[in-house]
Amino acid sequence: MEGTRCWQCGQPTAGALFCPSCNHLQQPTSDYYKFFGLPQKLNLDPGDLQKRFYSLSRQLHPDRFTRSTPTERQYSLEATAILNDGYRVLRDPVSRAEYVLRQRGFDVGEQRSKDVPPELLEEVFELNMALEELKVGDESAREQLEESRARFRSMRDEVDSQLQQLFVRYDESADQDSANAILQEIRGVLNRRRYIRNLVDQVERELAA
Amino acid sequence: MAYSDKVLDHYNNPRNVGSLDKNDPNVGTGMVGAPECGDVMKLQLKVNPETGIIEDAKFKTFGCGSAIASSSLATEMLKGKTVEQALEIKNTAIVQELSLPPVKIHCSVLAEDAIKAAIADYKKKQSALQASQPVSK
Ligand SMILES: [Zn+2]
Repeated sequence: MEGTRCWQCGQPTAGALFCPSCNHLQQPTSDYYKFFGLPQKLNLDPGDLQKRFYSLSRQLHPDRFTRSTPTERQYSLEATAILNDGYRVLRDPVSRAEYVLRQRGFDVGEQRSKDVPPELLEEVFELNMALEELKVGDESAREQLEESRARFRSMRDEVDSQLQQLFVRYDESADQDSANAILQEIRGVLNRRRYIRNLVDQVERELAA
Repeated sequence: MAYSDKVLDHYNNPRNVGSLDKNDPNVGTGMVGAPECGDVMKLQLKVNPETGIIEDAKFKTFGCGSAIASSSLATEMLKGKTVEQALEIKNTAIVQELSLPPVKIHCSVLAEDAIKAAIADYKKKQSALQASQPVSK
């Protein structure tokens, strides 16, 4: 991006969304962090992100491009899409972490079972057995489910505080190697979290039924 | 998503649902799961100590129709095989037999993982057993 020049006036833009010389909208970057003008940190100030979002929304408002050239209108549509997608992804800590993982070349979402902690699998299995018993009308399973819900919720809280600590360590990491090692850890914790979230959802659904 | 007839058949009439005694030294248990969809699969096999042939296999799977069908088929494939032959079972054979679409291939991978995990458990038990037994002359 550093070497790019304005499509309109030919001056260097230094990667800015609006040309510093003529103020025309440039082709937007698809990197959410760069788009919001943020360094790639896992801990973000939600208030700051929101301010940036509103400010960019104003700058990209369709009314401002009604008399623009087709090129600039096209860029404004692209930029608006990136703005909304990026805000949604960066606002949530988990999707933000998944985004950084993908950016850094980690696969997310299609893990094999070797990534899942065995004790968690046992837990899932037993829970499913209890859910099945409840479905066939065994009411004693309800109490067991309430216990499970409490346990899974505390597991989820524990995982969230683990993630929080890993975010801090990632943001403070000195070099690429240690950053990647922490991302690897984050990936594992996110897997665990996904599993636990499924459990919480499942139990809550059954208890509400 | 439309399931193939074979998936539906295994889903509606799953073969070998149940469990075997996990403390039996001739029984191997594999427990695997897929985080992305919350599937969890338990697969067990029992080896005849005289012949070395898998004489029984059971499974219990919580998950989508393809995961249930994959594990059901896997237990059928295991029976009558030796442990070494069972290790040769590939997920692609399950994909072919059940005509699984690409998005459901991970279900067959899970079944292959479950077989491998059950065999690893069986072998671990057997070597522990041999280590604890006095050598007969
Ligand atoms: Zn310009």
